[in-house]
Amino acid sequence: MTHRDATPSPDTSPHRTERELQQALAALAGEVHAAPDAYRTARGAWLRRERRRRLVLAVLIAVVFALATLIGLWVLNQTPAHPGVIFSGTAASLPRPHP
Amino acid sequence: MRQHLRHGTPVPVPLTPAAADPAEREREAGVARLFELHYASMLRLAVLLGADDPENVVAEAYYQIYRKWRRLRDAEAAEAYLRSTVCNLTRMRIRHLQVARRHVEAPSTELVASAESTALLHDDQRVLIDALQRLPARQREALVLRHWLGLKESEIASAMGISCGSVKTHTARGLAALTQAMEARR
Repeated sequence: MTHRDATPSPDTSPHRTERELQQALAALAGEVHAAPDAYRTARGAWLRRERRRRLVLAVLIAVVFALATLIGLWVLNQTPAHPGVIFSGTAASLPRPHP
Repeated sequence: MRQHLRHGTPVPVPLTPAAADPAEREREAGVARLFELHYASMLRLAVLLGADDPENVVAEAYYQIYRKWRRLRDAEAAEAYLRSTVCNLTRMRIRHLQVARRHVEAPSTELVASAESTALLHDDQRVLIDALQRLPARQREALVLRHWLGLKESEIASAMGISCGSVKTHTARGLAALTQAMEARR
């Protein structure tokens, strides 16, 4: 719907519609009443959700920590058992620089 | 907000929760006070915006403010934040229902709720409310915020997250559509 399409004809009354809309909204809103125990119900739900959120967060942190530890241990376990070239301790492994 | 809550009206005993941490106690008392002050009006706002489960929408909005309590500036900011959250959650809920209805052919709960809530209205008012519920969400929000809460354009723009010009456009188009609907009925 474009603005031009929605423009009322000259004999219509937007002010009357505005007034009627205000009355209708006030009448509809007047029928809505809050439940007396709404706060207790809502607060119980918040606390449950907050507990669940913290629990999920703690579990997630524990899982990430455990995974990182396991991966680290695995990587360390992959090192070769035989003596390497660099840290062999033999003097002939690297050529000495000539003066 | 914190200053205001510390020296403000004490919260009634039944609503005061027991929390050990002072910051937690302050947050609980602040949210309880907000609940007492604004819950009914937020519930009405959700109903007028066409939410099928207004209690859940408003409870979710309060949960959002409960989580972000430390980032709030003051009481005015809290009310505006609540209003904006209720608008957004209602819009998301209606959009979700529209998408779900497209995939699953089920009886419309929204129409039933609307019929129940408008049972005590006059015929003209019922037609007007029905026409309002058929408007696009943005136009409906702008009209409800303008004509029920009586907000200024800048406040509506802030609540809806749009510019003042867009508020004017949505209000004018929504009002024109409602006028057409009422003229067709007369």
